[in-house]
Amino acid sequence: MIACLSIPGFELKAALRARPSLSLRPAALAPEAGREPLLGPVTAAAEAAGVRPRMRLGEALATCPQLVLVDPDPAAAELAWEEIVRSLEDAGFSVDAAGLGIAYFETRGVERLYGGLEPALKRALAAAGTHWDARIGAAGRRFAALAAASVAKPGQLLVVRDDEVGQFLAPLPLTLLPLERQRYDELEALGVRKLGQLAGLPGGAVAERLGPDGRRAWSLARGGTAARVRGRRPPAELAESLEFPEAIGNELTLRRALGAIVETALARPERRDRFVRKVALGARLVGGGSWRRTLTLREPSADADRIRVALAPRLAELPAPVLELRLELVELTEPAGRQLELLAAGAEDRSRLSEGLRQVRASTGSGSVCTVVEVAPWSRIPETRALFVPRDD
Amino acid sequence: MVTDSRDARAVRTAGRLNEPRPARVESNFDGTPWQVNHGAVAILREEWRVLDRWWTEEPVVRRYFEVVLETGENTVVFHDSTGGGWFTQRGA
Repeated sequence: MIACLSIPGFELKAALRARPSLSLRPAALAPEAGREPLLGPVTAAAEAAGVRPRMRLGEALATCPQLVLVDPDPAAAELAWEEIVRSLEDAGFSVDAAGLGIAYFETRGVERLYGGLEPALKRALAAAGTHWDARIGAAGRRFAALAAASVAKPGQLLVVRDDEVGQFLAPLPLTLLPLERQRYDELEALGVRKLGQLAGLPGGAVAERLGPDGRRAWSLARGGTAARVRGRRPPAELAESLEFPEAIGNELTLRRALGAIVETALARPERRDRFVRKVALGARLVGGGSWRRTLTLREPSADADRIRVALAPRLAELPAPVLELRLELVELTEPAGRQLELLAAGAEDRSRLSEGLRQVRASTGSGSVCTVVEVAPWSRIPETRALFVPRDD
Repeated sequence: MVTDSRDARAVRTAGRLNEPRPARVESNFDGTPWQVNHGAVAILREEWRVLDRWWTEEPVVRRYFEVVLETGENTVVFHDSTGGGWFTQRGA
């Protein structure tokens, strides 16, 4: 069986952890700065007042003037989701985290451990915690499991047997399918509103009318293809942060700070000569929110300049001045598979220098060796021109 | 026992370079220093003003002096017009 653990509105719930009183009031996740002004998930009170997720901001405020907009906190959401996924992994499930609030896992390997399917799913639900109103759907195929999770109530386990899949999916809405808005409208105009209606159409005709996406949706409406769930590779969790003495909004200053933390992160001994495949750049913003972007490098690299050049354009997307900049090396490759120089130029000098610094640190303590990073050399105030950043590499 | 790999996270706090340090300065009636940290000023080499961040709640208004003391030491001091007080500063 494939199980799908779902936590609807996860990003809003994560953002509300810091302000729990708002969860009983009409509140919604505010649109991200610079994006289309559409609401994110909403609370039950907001839904009762007529506000719907993905509603236009103006329309939502006109519908419910007392609606509270909650700033997105993607870093907190990522962290909370990582905790849940780890908790599931600790319970023995090999998890494929499809996105924030949606995780798939196979139960076959753990059913014997927990004494059957239902106890295993209960254990997964317990691992997710009671705070999140998680629910689990289980079926023979991935899409059916997702559909079951989407109709299950908070804390409920819904198991759909193979022979019940068609009957179960038939009355469910098309919105469960990963389709563009335009396609839903097109199908609705044709009188197709339920999965069962789509599944009843000839596949060839659907593909002709709606293209490859439509054909895929049709296949999902019929239960989807059989595929195994592949557990994720645990993230590397190598992170480096830099707190600023005051909020920084200047892009050039941030670029310099980024350069410093990239170098420090790459120099960490835990990296053990592995190359970086995926990085995440995050920031704590001055207003209390956070910001995060992940980037998969075209080619794994341990070159600070390449990583810096790849990440630097993202800094322009920052919506507010930054109090803390954080770099995470999310995925690292194996150390093998790359031809390195036998003896890199200047390696001896570097190793002597690093040994010298190690001895200084050993005698004076952690944080005593710093790098000077020029952040605003044009400033007329001397103490804002450069920062010294502790380094323990 | 499983160790928490989150230990690999490190938060470093960046410090400011060339932070001003309080100084004991005696000044003339026109505001120019004649004694810095108990050392008499031999030459007043340069004087300039810095007015910055006037758009914030913490504006910076400083009157800088580069002086040579009788001991031969070259130093930069400034008078902070917003908070009051004298400071020495490197890198100015």
